[in-house]
Amino acid sequence: MILALVIVTALAFDFTNGFHDTANAMATTIATKALKPRAAVALSGVLNLVGAFLSVQVALTVTNAVVKIQNSDGTPKGSLTAGGGEALLLIILAGLVGGIIWNLLTWLLGLPSSSSHALFGGLIGATVAGLGWAGVKWNGDGSKLDGVVGKVLLPAVVSPVIAGVVAAVGTWVIFKIVAGVAVRYTRQGFKWGQIGSASLVSLAHGTNDAQKTMGVITLALIASGHWADTKSIPLWVKVACAVAIALGTYLGGWRIIRTLGKGLVDIAPAQGMAAQSASAAVILASSHLGFALSTTHVATGSVLGSGVGRPAGEVRWRVAGRMVLAWLITLPAAGLVGAAMWWVGDLIGGLAGALVVFLILVASATAMWRRSRRVPVGEHNVNDDWNPAVAGAAVPERVAVTAAN
Amino acid sequence: MGHNLQFTFEAAWKVLLAGLVLGAGLPLLFALGVRSLAWGAGGDAETHAAGSAGPKAQPIGTVIGWLLFAVVLAGIALGITFIVASGLGKQLSFEHVFPTIVNKH
Repeated sequence: MILALVIVTALAFDFTNGFHDTANAMATTIATKALKPRAAVALSGVLNLVGAFLSVQVALTVTNAVVKIQNSDGTPKGSLTAGGGEALLLIILAGLVGGIIWNLLTWLLGLPSSSSHALFGGLIGATVAGLGWAGVKWNGDGSKLDGVVGKVLLPAVVSPVIAGVVAAVGTWVIFKIVAGVAVRYTRQGFKWGQIGSASLVSLAHGTNDAQKTMGVITLALIASGHWADTKSIPLWVKVACAVAIALGTYLGGWRIIRTLGKGLVDIAPAQGMAAQSASAAVILASSHLGFALSTTHVATGSVLGSGVGRPAGEVRWRVAGRMVLAWLITLPAAGLVGAAMWWVGDLIGGLAGALVVFLILVASATAMWRRSRRVPVGEHNVNDDWNPAVAGAAVPERVAVTAAN
Repeated sequence: MGHNLQFTFEAAWKVLLAGLVLGAGLPLLFALGVRSLAWGAGGDAETHAAGSAGPKAQPIGTVIGWLLFAVVLAGIALGITFIVASGLGKQLSFEHVFPTIVNKH
């Protein structure tokens, strides 16, 4: 029963992961009208689905980077599996709830914060609450990039900068090259460049993010004795996660798409292409090098970079500042929620405790969804000019809208 | 903390290098392609003084343009191959782009 709650919650997280991150791939494509909003999220959803199935690699050790609840081969620590693995399941459940609640809150505010940070933050918080500070792997053992510092914090600082530099260089070069070509002509060309590069980002996102949830669910299955193989993931888990992230993507986190596509920079097709290409290249190169990073940080860095690199381009630094603030507090905030959830669950204990945690999640999710209905952002208004009324809490500086190139 | 900083730095410059080659290099080729096509098409595809007919069409530009697009497509195909390969637990060696020994856990 607790296991069922964990699985449902994990899939719910996967779903929020999807709609929270649609913007990473498609915000610029939608903002430049290279694709219609619905077509863009549909394409991204399909590619996330495909990507999730491509990630055949076993991601069972996903939590190993930050917390010590698993052995290095992926099996849960023996001390946590007693009595059907209840101790471990509660940590996972509380961590997932922390991640989801933070994802929903930042979505409500239209902030592109990192879903991976939310997940890791929630897990870290729940682990600290459940096992104490020593249960968290803060710094690794010095043999490779590891721990909270090496797998989460440092990449979060470095990756947006790298993506920003690449996008800035790309944008600057493109604008130099196509100077003198008629605008109508470049618009058509870059439209395809954008669609191609955005597709690549969607695919990479599906492979990277869906497998985190697959790993978490499989860990829960092993802990409760429903699965024993640490070398593979049950097919139904794979299917469920792939579908959840694809549906989430298709739903489209319009608030975040709006911020990323319209809020930071008034983006032109050439910039969109440069930004997405930079994102795709940085994400792929990093995962190749085992440099864990957040798609969100990369995508945001790229969009900023494309604003910096465009001759006479403008960046709304105040919006960027809000985002950076959200990044900084994502990990601790999700951690606090995760810890609180663990305490609640542990205080009540057993199935009742897990149920209460789950109900808290449902209640807060419903509340935030209702709140979002007051100022809805959807495909109808996602591309409206950036102004405080529609952007919820955002208070952008008044910047003259430069003519789209 | 110290060793993580060092590892981050080591990984970061490689990511930056690969990012610049693929993430800025391919768009550069793409932009050159667009430019070539415009040169190939001539006329209103290029900015020219109002009232004049615009530059003459240059068929070779069209050819160069599509060649460049083909290179870009090959680059994208490489990217997709990379995703699929790592999904299957295999690794592509990019030694000609950036030499590195990869050990994926």
